[in-house]
Amino acid sequence: MEELINKLKEEIIDVLNLEGMKPEDIDENAPLFGEGLGLDSIDALELIVLLEKNYGIKLKNANEGKEIFKSVRVMAEYINEHRTK
Amino acid sequence: MPKIVVTGLGIITSMGHGKEATIERLLSGQGAIGKLHILQTKHHDLPAGEVAYTDEELKQFIGMPLEKRCNRTTLLARVAMKEALEQAHLDKVFPDKVAFISGNTVGGMEKSELHYHDFQNNDDWNEYIGMHDCGSCTEMIAEEYKGQFQLTSTISTACSSAANAIILGANLIKDGTSEIAVVGGTECLSKFHLNGFNTLMILDKEECKPFDAQRNGLNLGEGAAYLVIETEESAKRRNVPILCELSGYANRCDAFHQTATSPQGDGPFLAMQKALANSGLQPSDIDYINAHGTGTPNNDECEGIAMMRIFGDQMPPVSSTKAYTGHTTSAAGSVESVISILALQHHFIPASLHYQHPMAEHNFRPVAEVLTDVNLRHVLTNSFGFGGNDSSCIFSSYEPNHQVNNNIATTKAASHPVYIRAVSQISIQQPLDEQWFDQPVFPTEVNNASQEPDYTKYINPMAARRMGKLFKRAIATAVDIMQKSETEQVDAIITGTGLGCIEHTEKFLNAMLDNDEECLPPTPFMQSTHNTISSQMALHLKCHGYNCTYSHRGTSFDSSLLDALTQMHLGEIHSAMVCGHEEMTPSYFQMLGKIGYWKATSDEAALHRHDTAGSFSGSSSVNLLLTDTADSRNLCAIKAMKALYCPSEQQLSDALLQILAQEHLCMDDISAIVMGLNGDQQNDEVYLRFAQQNCPQTPIAWYKHIFGESYCASAFGTYTAAVMLQRQHIPAHLLYTSCNTSIKPKNILVYNHFQNKDHSFILLSSC
Repeated sequence: MEELINKLKEEIIDVLNLEGMKPEDIDENAPLFGEGLGLDSIDALELIVLLEKNYGIKLKNANEGKEIFKSVRVMAEYINEHRTK
Repeated sequence: MPKIVVTGLGIITSMGHGKEATIERLLSGQGAIGKLHILQTKHHDLPAGEVAYTDEELKQFIGMPLEKRCNRTTLLARVAMKEALEQAHLDKVFPDKVAFISGNTVGGMEKSELHYHDFQNNDDWNEYIGMHDCGSCTEMIAEEYKGQFQLTSTISTACSSAANAIILGANLIKDGTSEIAVVGGTECLSKFHLNGFNTLMILDKEECKPFDAQRNGLNLGEGAAYLVIETEESAKRRNVPILCELSGYANRCDAFHQTATSPQGDGPFLAMQKALANSGLQPSDIDYINAHGTGTPNNDECEGIAMMRIFGDQMPPVSSTKAYTGHTTSAAGSVESVISILALQHHFIPASLHYQHPMAEHNFRPVAEVLTDVNLRHVLTNSFGFGGNDSSCIFSSYEPNHQVNNNIATTKAASHPVYIRAVSQISIQQPLDEQWFDQPVFPTEVNNASQEPDYTKYINPMAARRMGKLFKRAIATAVDIMQKSETEQVDAIITGTGLGCIEHTEKFLNAMLDNDEECLPPTPFMQSTHNTISSQMALHLKCHGYNCTYSHRGTSFDSSLLDALTQMHLGEIHSAMVCGHEEMTPSYFQMLGKIGYWKATSDEAALHRHDTAGSFSGSSSVNLLLTDTADSRNLCAIKAMKALYCPSEQQLSDALLQILAQEHLCMDDISAIVMGLNGDQQNDEVYLRFAQQNCPQTPIAWYKHIFGESYCASAFGTYTAAVMLQRQHIPAHLLYTSCNTSIKPKNILVYNHFQNKDHSFILLSSC
């Protein structure tokens, strides 16, 4: 799990182009949206593409992301459970 | 202030070709959304409002030879425009002052996405390279009427493009620049924007249900619609039937988010409020609202809330006709204006199809069934675009004796001076200053990169995460002029960009082609819309004022300046940020090279020769702050501007004389003429012949030899002239003709043309 969390942090930094940020700067338990990292709805869409492209998980609508993207840890747990690649 | 009336309408959408078919379909209560047949895409099961005619059939409608290469955006426009011009009796000979303003966003993308790899690998489809940009579509639409239109322009503000075309046309008429304007928008379906909207997850997989609690998104559509608008006096003189009045309009910016509307619908609220004020009407006068109503959860909720803020408990009947046509994006503003006018004329209200479940957030319900025999006097139509580019127009039944009761000042140029208050640039030269004036860098490459400043001083990393260089440049130059001029806010942000963010456009296009329309990132699609630049500046400056984007090839900046000056002359705005932003990618540079844009040499000396074809490229950004307030820090005054489309040499001479006469000047009073000489033989010949014939004694200054060529490079003409006037000096390196460099410039004429089609003159004077 910890390995996946770290990999995920790197992928998030890359896909969202969070310049100058390192994996250790992201708290895996902090919210990704709003208060925590401060991401927005477009970032959520980018993360949905990340899920599909890297883990073969296809979401039907953007709202499903709300639960999954609560934190990097929650996201990693969801991936572990649902990944098809 | 002249009353503006509508005398011609033309429309083509999935509902059919022409007004009759449109009315019939609207009254039938049957939507025209179904599976895609003409557009070839993996997502053909997504419902859309596709025009039923093939390109060949569209060509037959307008009598175009079948073998002629043309994109669908242009064909749809030509069909709709033909109908509008015929109704307004403009099909043969035009009066003198007829402007043509057209909106589109995808341009020739539906051909570019088919031949993108051909563009790079062979020469079979090169013709389509020059038909890719938005401005080229307008050029091809106007082609048939060469020598007829007085001026042309292209607006690209995504889904509000056509509404903004109506607004510019109306302002040009009010200002006296034009008597008639043919205005509207066009857009064909493309894989690019179908996939783009799909990445945003806002496409409904079934037919869309605007204003329904269970709405699931929008359906895309395609089409074109044009209106002929003119002064009441012109319509009477020409003896053409008046269909209705354009009684009010406004453009405001939500300045909230790139794709989402603010929760309280601030931009939509401001646009509707200002349109009402502009018309002199009260909310209670509005008899029907043709809403933007896309069917996305966000739009319908926020638009409804904004309407409730205006109309309170007295909500007039509301419907969205997007369940008939799909969202025709850049054409939507004029498509829905035509629908609103047909409703007004034929006393009906089209339905919001598929509505069933009331929304908890709203105190009103949309019109679910078509209403007939209703007496409509005033109809409001909304068009909102990405980046919060929100516009509203009001059409009213024509009353011959009705006095125009709007609050627009009637004063003209003389009492509304315009000054350039501050300037900024990022280019080949040292960025964000005027070091080039004394120590220019002379380009040594055919494709020259710009010198980038440290953007972290202007943009925080979180805001920068989705920004390409072009957006960073726009914000840095915007912040720079605000700081230099100690200005807190501007009334308008107006951008000229021929290609918009071409880096992101190509990124999305490549991803779409490489990944077979799957797993595409939303960011590059969003950033590919041309108005992202202007709206990012508005977002950064929290500017809710007028916001517009012109993508009209080499006169994109000139169009922006014309818009700003027109509104300043009308007293509508008192300050404006007017800019030109352009970038170049290696692949797009290579493609433009194939159609003769660049010099075929890497030899530095040969770059600056004028007897060969092509120029050299420079990515560039220019930002000017305009104000109507006199201030000792102003760089110069803008005295006059004139835009012309395909003028004869005589018309060019006449235009020059007219500008001089208007300012009580003669040619000897002009210290220098600044021209867009770029080393391309054909381009330069036009300038030099003009100078030879009209002002052989006037010193010629140039600027593209140090800033490079791009669609927005003409912005540097006004920019360099302003700096020369401020510093009261013309440095030798900016003089094309050898002459006395001790001239203290008093008046400078800037002359720009693009491929000898669109031309413009700008007269600047020292303060």
